[in-house]
Amino acid sequence: MGLRRLRVLRDLSVQLVLRDLKLRYRRTLIGLAWSFAFPIGQIVVLTFIFTLVLPTRVGKYSAFVSIGVLAWTWFQSSLVMAATSITGNRELVRHPGFPSTVLPISVVGTNLILFLMAFPAIVLVVLYDGGHPGLGTAALPLVVLVQFLLTLGISYLVASLNVSFRDTQQMVALLLLLFFFLTPIFYDPASVPTAYRALYNLNPFVVLLDGYRATLIHGGLPNFVGLGELGALGAAMVVAGHFMFRRASHNFAEEI
Amino acid sequence: MGQISARRISKRYRFRSHGRGRHPGVLNEDLRFGSRRGEFWALHEVDVEVGPGQMLGVIGPNGAGKSTLLRLIGGVGRPTSGSIRVTGRMGSLLELGSDFHPELTGRENVIMSGIIAGLTRRQVLARMDAIVEFAELKAFMDSPVRAYSSGMLLRLGFSVAIHTEPEVLLIDEVLAVGDQSFRAKCLARVEQLRGRGCAILLVTHDMTLAAQLCDKALWLNKGRVMQLGPADEVVRAFAASMDWETRSRTPVDWHAQLTTDGTELRMMENRFGSMELQVTDVRLIDGIGRRCRSLQAGERLRVEIDYRADQALPAPNFGVVIRQENNTVLFDETIPAAKVGLVTAYGPGTVALNFERLDLNSGEYHIDVGVYRHDWAYAYDYHWRAYPLTILAATEVKGAVNPPHTWEGPEPPVRGTG
Repeated sequence: MGLRRLRVLRDLSVQLVLRDLKLRYRRTLIGLAWSFAFPIGQIVVLTFIFTLVLPTRVGKYSAFVSIGVLAWTWFQSSLVMAATSITGNRELVRHPGFPSTVLPISVVGTNLILFLMAFPAIVLVVLYDGGHPGLGTAALPLVVLVQFLLTLGISYLVASLNVSFRDTQQMVALLLLLFFFLTPIFYDPASVPTAYRALYNLNPFVVLLDGYRATLIHGGLPNFVGLGELGALGAAMVVAGHFMFRRASHNFAEEI
Repeated sequence: MGQISARRISKRYRFRSHGRGRHPGVLNEDLRFGSRRGEFWALHEVDVEVGPGQMLGVIGPNGAGKSTLLRLIGGVGRPTSGSIRVTGRMGSLLELGSDFHPELTGRENVIMSGIIAGLTRRQVLARMDAIVEFAELKAFMDSPVRAYSSGMLLRLGFSVAIHTEPEVLLIDEVLAVGDQSFRAKCLARVEQLRGRGCAILLVTHDMTLAAQLCDKALWLNKGRVMQLGPADEVVRAFAASMDWETRSRTPVDWHAQLTTDGTELRMMENRFGSMELQVTDVRLIDGIGRRCRSLQAGERLRVEIDYRADQALPAPNFGVVIRQENNTVLFDETIPAAKVGLVTAYGPGTVALNFERLDLNSGEYHIDVGVYRHDWAYAYDYHWRAYPLTILAATEVKGAVNPPHTWEGPEPPVRGTG
């Protein structure tokens, strides 16, 4: 693959992201703000419940839950959109010369942009809640990168599976709902009974969310070993997912 | 410099036939075990070779596999067997504008579409003015394309595609639409690309266009290659064939009919066509004006075709084929009747073909007569091998023709007559 080809692929991904952002809420009243309506609603309700109705021991709860919800939203929206990224883009996929492999990238990229756009708001909440970002916050991009790799790897898998097996889409929605509760988004992972701890910690988001929170709220360093392993896993999943995707892509045109 | 090289490519599609009314259940009908499956070959061992500056026309009835072939070569899907090699940047004129998004403006769509076609963003922007000018849409570039007419979409799509400087170009039908002047402009542009070494594959139903533009033509039918060769030959063969369309329009319950010579014309056996126009009689007339079944070699022959059209039909095409006993075609010509002054066929009439001389060798021959719709879509009436003709030559030679000929040597010439 030549340098020029890479440049075209880059431009194509960027263009797809821009198109998606531009189109998503076109002709709605508040436009892109809709992207934040969901996480903000969740954050407000969760904060209300777990500080007033069922108070938890977690300190700086609104900062804690904001980070959890927004990071999860990036992951969740990416997978939901990735599932239909091939089946919902018939015209593009059937266009001679169109590299379908950019579609999952653009989906994860679009949601990354939305995540990053919400970032200033998170920082404000953290500061308001008494958190103190510090030197450790510099390690934050690493956490973002690891999440990007993991999400992209799974997105490739989900996108290609959904082409010949449309149940994937429904299964993804169900699993995401279940994992919302099995992920330390709105509660402290330390409250999970030790007997289940080993199993629970297999969820990559335990390490990821801890990374976000350690660096943002406490200005500390993330768990580099855990992140390193997770990063390696993410890279492996991108390679494997992309490989599967490539193999399946020969049938995309006739299956959609 | 572009090149397309496809060898023995086949494409098999599998499908599941849905059973009707069986136990509705949790599993979807098409996933349930035991549902009947089938397969068909959309393409079977097709070779395609298009070099730089060449243009190959792909013709054939609907369902022949033309579009499948185009897509496979375009890298959409993969052949079940065989290999495809395409060198050079690919441009495509298929379903023009299908990659446009209705909510985006013309300009935004051009950028997207250009990048999809393999340009960088910078390259697209550099060509934007040329693209807009060619499409003649300067005033509309900042409106969303949902407000465009289909003609405008087509123009914009075409303009983007050709400004990507393709080295390999895939064209599906699109040249058939659009207004005359834009069409001429497009054709000129395609010719220009070809002159620069672009390899072009053109799928079309327009036989005249195929014969005019293409070096070679490939005739497909049900996924198989019927003929590959010089465009005009293949186009003629296709037009003369009792193609799918004609067969599907042939009324089966039409009464069998005897020709004056006593050959029985039976539908779907030796007579095909929609019967909107019927050939009522065909007369073979010899040099002295008599109906005949046999001729001396070198004699004149006039083939008179009587027809009757039950409704007014725009200038049909009339054709005559002469074949040998083994079906080898010796003569085959079809002309638009407009060329001999028949603009509209309505009611009875006669069209005749005169051979000044027919220098065939001794033997049994068969004459086909066919009348086709003006656009070659199907035949109105085709009589296959319905009119036998015996040729008697005075001299014995081998081969198909026996024109007057003489041998010369050192001795005084010995005459031989044809």
